[in-house]
This record gives sequence, C-alpha cells and structure tokens, in this order.
Amino acid sequence: MRILSSAPHIKTRRTTKHIMLDVLIALLPATAAGIVYFGWQAAVLIAVSLASAVLTEFVWYLIEHKVWRDGGVVRAWAKQFDYTSLVTGLLLALCLPANIEGWYMPLLGSIFAVGVVKMLFGGTGKNIVNPAIAGRVFLFISFALMTVYPAANFAPIGEQNLDIWWTNTWVSATTSPTGAGDALTTGATQLGNMLGKKPILSNLDLFLGTGVAGCIGETCKLALLIGYVYLCVRGVIKWYLPLLYIGVTGLFAVALEGFNFDYFLPSVLSGGLILGACFMATDYVTTPKSTLGNLIYFTALGLLTAGLRKATGLEVVSFCILLMNFAVFLLDIAIKPRPFGYVRKKKEANK
Amino acid sequence: MIIRPKAFFRGVHPAGHKTPTEQLPPERIPTPAEVAVPLLQHAGKPALPVVEAGQAVKRGECIAVCAGGVSANVHASVAGTVKAIETRPDGRGGEAEYIVITASGEQEDAFLAPLSSPTAEEIMERIREAGIVGMGGAGFPSFIKLAPPVPVDTLILNGAECEPYLTCDDALMRGNCEKIVRGAKYMAKALGVTRILIAVEKNKPQAIARFSETELDVVPLKKQYPMGAEKQLIYCCTGRKVPLGKLPAHTGVIVQNVATAFAVCEAVEEGKPLIERVVTVTGGGIRTPKNLICPVGTPLSLLAEACGGEENAVKLVAGGPMTGAALTGYEAVVTKTTGGFLFLTPAETNTDEPTPCINCAKCASVCPMKLMPMQTEFYTNAKQYENAAKYGGVLACIECGACSYICPARRPLAQAIKTAKEQLRRKP
Repeated sequence: MRILSSAPHIKTRRTTKHIMLDVLIALLPATAAGIVYFGWQAAVLIAVSLASAVLTEFVWYLIEHKVWRDGGVVRAWAKQFDYTSLVTGLLLALCLPANIEGWYMPLLGSIFAVGVVKMLFGGTGKNIVNPAIAGRVFLFISFALMTVYPAANFAPIGEQNLDIWWTNTWVSATTSPTGAGDALTTGATQLGNMLGKKPILSNLDLFLGTGVAGCIGETCKLALLIGYVYLCVRGVIKWYLPLLYIGVTGLFAVALEGFNFDYFLPSVLSGGLILGACFMATDYVTTPKSTLGNLIYFTALGLLTAGLRKATGLEVVSFCILLMNFAVFLLDIAIKPRPFGYVRKKKEANK
Repeated sequence: MIIRPKAFFRGVHPAGHKTPTEQLPPERIPTPAEVAVPLLQHAGKPALPVVEAGQAVKRGECIAVCAGGVSANVHASVAGTVKAIETRPDGRGGEAEYIVITASGEQEDAFLAPLSSPTAEEIMERIREAGIVGMGGAGFPSFIKLAPPVPVDTLILNGAECEPYLTCDDALMRGNCEKIVRGAKYMAKALGVTRILIAVEKNKPQAIARFSETELDVVPLKKQYPMGAEKQLIYCCTGRKVPLGKLPAHTGVIVQNVATAFAVCEAVEEGKPLIERVVTVTGGGIRTPKNLICPVGTPLSLLAEACGGEENAVKLVAGGPMTGAALTGYEAVVTKTTGGFLFLTPAETNTDEPTPCINCAKCASVCPMKLMPMQTEFYTNAKQYENAAKYGGVLACIECGACSYICPARRPLAQAIKTAKEQLRRKP
C-alpha cells in the first residue's frame, strides 16, 4: 500500500516539540540563576508550577477524550504532549516571588493558566492571551503575597546610583542594606521609595540581579540575555522584536523624564521587562502573524509599558502584554498581505 | 561569462539528496515492448489522435495533433503497431487517454527534415510541429510561449533545478552543453532577442563551468527553493518583478527550461520530435538510482526494473518531492514533463499527523510570494474562500510547497491553498 498525500512530500525535521524544547533550554540559565539567588524556595515553587501545569493538561486530556477507563492512556497522552504546558509552568514560576509561604500560588496559577486560559479555549495555539501572563495577573489581583518580593541572596556589588533620584519607582528593586537575604520589600516600600525619592541600585546590580528584589526569573538579566541569544541562534524568535520592545520602553521613559538619558539603563534593566520582552511577548500564539503587525505590536508594547510605569508607579509589563494580546486579532485582520509583484492600484483620475 | 545574481527572495533550504545520481551520465533504457503515450502531456487540451488501432507507426511519426488553442502534437516514441487508443488509470488516482503502441523491435525513424540556418518562422513552425512543451514540469506549449503578446528582450534558460533529488537537468547540462546553447540560440532567434542568460544553482559546479566556456552568460544562483520558479528566477537574474496577474513576458523576459532548449536543438538540427527525455529515478527506496533516457510512454515498472527494483519504498512520487504527485502504483508512464520518479522510504517522507497551528508565522516568513499561508488554511478549513483570498492572498500562490515544508506543526498548508484556489476558480 502506498502513502498518498498532497505535495510536498518532504518536511523539515523541526516540529512544535523542538521549538518548545528550545524555549525550555533558553529558560534554563534564568531558572538556574533564580535558584542560586533565591535558594531552595525557588526550586520548590518551580517544581510545583511545572508539575501542576502538566498535571492540569493531563487531567484535561482524560476528561476531553473520555479515556480514563482505557489502557495506555499515559502513552496516548505523551504522544500528543508538545511541551507547551511545561513552558507555561516554567514561565509562570519565573515571574512569581520566591516566597515559600505562597506555595499554593504556582499551583493555582498553573491550573488557571493551563486549564482556563489555554485548554478551555481549545488547547495549544488557540489561546487568546499568553497563559503564563494571564496566570501571573490572576495571582497578582488575587493574593497580597504577590506584592512581597524577597531580595536575592547576594548583596549589591556596585555603588548605589546617587545620580538618579527615582521619582516614580516602578522598579521592583530595592537595596538590601543589612546584607544578604533578609530584606523583604513590599509594594508599600516601593511607594515609599517613590515618595521619598530614595536612590536605587547601580546598573551593574540591576543587570546581574545582585541585591535586587524581584521575581525568581527576572532578576538576573545576564541569564535572560543568554537565553535570548540562544533563541535567536535557533531561529525561534526574530532577534529584533525583543530589542524593539526594550528599546522603545527605554527611550520613551527617557522622553517622559524630560530626555534625561540617565533613566535609560535603569528602566530597561529593572522589573520584568527583559523576561517579558524575550520570552513572554514573543510567544507565537499571541503575536501578530505579519512582520509589519509585529513591529506595530512591539512598538505599542514599549510605549504602553513606559507610559503605564510612569503613570502608575507599578511594574506593569505583564499587564501591558495582556492588554496588547487582545489587539493581536485586530492587527491580523487589519494588515493584508502584499504579494511579491504587488502593484498599488492607481486612483482613477477625475471621477 | 559569469553574471552575479541581482536579488534574493524568501524560501527554504531542503536537504539536496542529489548525491546518488549527481555524477551519473544519462543512460538509455532498453526499448520497451509496449509504450502508452498519453494524449495530454501538456497544459491545455488533449491532442486529437490521427492513428487507428492496428496501424503501423514509425518512431517520430505524429500520432495525435494539436487540438487548437493551447495544445501540442504527440509523436510515436517507438516504431511498432498501435494496439489501442484507450482510457487507463494514470497512477495518480484518475484516468487518462493513451495511445498504446506495441514495439516491433526495429529501428524505423520518421523524423522531420533537418533545417540548416533556419529563419525565425521556420524555427517556430518546427517547435510547433515537434510538439515541444516546457519540460520543467508545467508543460506549457513552447510555440505559444515563444510568441509573447508584448516585445521581450531577454531569454533565460532555467537550469536551476531547485527540487531536491532530481538531477535530470544537471545530467543533461553536463553532457549536452553545446546542444543546449544552440537550442537557446534558435529560441532567441525565434523570439528576436539577443540577450540569453543561463541560470544554474551553485550546487551544479560542473554545469556552471561548462557553460561559462561558451559565449552565453551564466548566472550562478544561490541554492534555495523555489529558485526555479519563473517569477523568482526572473527576479534573481534581472531584478525585475513580474506584476501580479501579468505574464512574465510583461517584464520583457521569457523563461525556458534547459531540457526544452535541448529538445529544440534536436528538433531543428535532426528533425527529431519530442519523444524522449531524461528521467531521474532515485530515492532511498530504489536499489540503484540512475538518470535514464526514456521514450515518452515508458511504464514506470520498466524504469524500476532498470534500476534494480524497489526496496522498502512506501511512497512513489512523479516529479520532485516538493511539487510532485504521489502515485498509487506502477500505472504511471514517462511523459514530456516527467523530471523524475522518487521511491521514498518512511524515513524520507513525512508521516506525522498535523498538530495545532501555533501561529509561528514560519510559513509566511519563507513564502516566496510573501503570502499568509496560515490565514489561508484557517479560512479554507472554515470554508470561507473569499476571506482566504483577502487575508491569505491565496490567488497569487505559485504552489511551491515551501510553507508545508517548513511548518513545525505539520499542517497541510499547500493542500489547503490548492483547495481554496480550486473553489475560487469554480465561482463565477
């Protein structure tokens, strides 16, 4: 018996699984840095998040296919498993505070992200918003614990940046003057920083994450950038899109501060901007299809992020991405393809 | 002289798989005992048979004539007796009309009179009489293509052969460089143009070296699929873009395959009509891959036999792996446009089931026509063909298959595009 199918008869070896595996590999440096900086608590939270994300998808598969009585369920499920829920679970864990008191947060967040945001809308590729982002925002508006960020286990190595007086501390960063690991900063403290015009950390500390309080995965920018380079080399994301987002955010923040370029690096290096730009905003499902659409999308994200940070004094990257996710469909239908050899229709004269 | 290509386009880079047959000269297959010559081997209408069952025919005798409009003559590819004119399965799941000829085993040729220093009109008439069609795959009758509605200034010979596996044009170019050049000059004379470019992909260095010794200009092209597609080839060689909905001739360029040029040369100098061609038989599922010179109408079973038989092949393909048609069995025959037969093993061909689209836009990023295949597929599955045209740009598709090739979710994008085009064509 011959296999009959439409052309082409050969296909590239790369499948969805490979792409998702590449994303997981790209997240490894950030995960490792998170565990080093925040200790075993971070590792436990990441494990809880991954396990509950995969388990949620498995349970959904059982219910959807009504196969709980059949044998070989696990094998059938594993065959169609495409690692997307692992990516969701890991990303969600990486944007949570490393606080073991909130062990139930990755659990609830993963169930919400995978169960409601992804599977309820039809599974892989059908979700309207990024599951990890939606999970984070769900937790953020549900639990006060989401506003308490432990600082990293390392003291800042750079000098405090006394040149800039943060008038609007959107950064989830704070100094940890008494040494390693004991400082907790809360939203209230951030507000205090803002009002009291306290100095913030040096750019080097923001880049390395030393002494920075923040989510598990967002503090070490170096590790995130290694992941970004890996994604670009493997052709998973287009290299210019995260840079566009980050650049526009930085420049617009500079513009909002009256073109004081001292604000560029702190606003780029603080908060979840780099994690969001490289791993969250570039999620295939929730970005426009066309190149032009992507350019508009990432520029708008940058403007929105810098603008909302200035206006609210909070870390808003996840909210901005969530907002822009809803604009993707509009961008997709607004931009029509212009085929090779497209001739602009001439306006009919005098009519 | 070697000319640098002028432009690039998006595309894919599938593995070549050309090594098994790359260095092999074309080998003549033993004369088949019976050939089944299809009446429709070209774009347009089937030719009209002018012979009857039982009639003796010589090799090269015209057995079916051009049906008017877009059509072409068909000639007997072996000397023998017409056994029947009948409808048979064509090996692609459909049926077609064939003139079946039983070979007598004698070498009786009835070629046309050779022409020495022919005029443009004589060349055109000869190309029409010899039933020459575009041998790259589409099979558009050459006498129509060489009479463009607008004046042209360039003739491009397409030796890109961007399809993986196939080496038939390469084999022809290595061995018959001079004949191809002379054929190109005849076509240029018929067209009234002086500029002739020969476009060859860089993975055929021997062919490039041979052509650069002749007086024609060679364009060594980047190895990329679909480099041999007409619009992309014109863009790369001359930097001109074919406007949507217009013919390539509107950019002043006519593209012809190298095998067509070879056939033109033989038709003019020897009076030999288009009755045989080089066919690559390759793939992991055939024991000894070869380039074979086959008379038109040779059954596939004979080709498989000449190549040692099949082994572990699960898929038969007529043509290249990117655009060729899957075959149901050995009913298929060699036609004027067959570049090759592939015997693909399970490891070589794709057997994965489609998974959900993850919207990665890789299909759009490789589309040489800058379309949106994922949009087309989405709207085609919803049976909204108008939207498929509006948001996917499906009508401009050249059906190269690059989108399906690259899709990590294994979605049948090219198939959806063909469906949408078919549905849109049916509507008034």
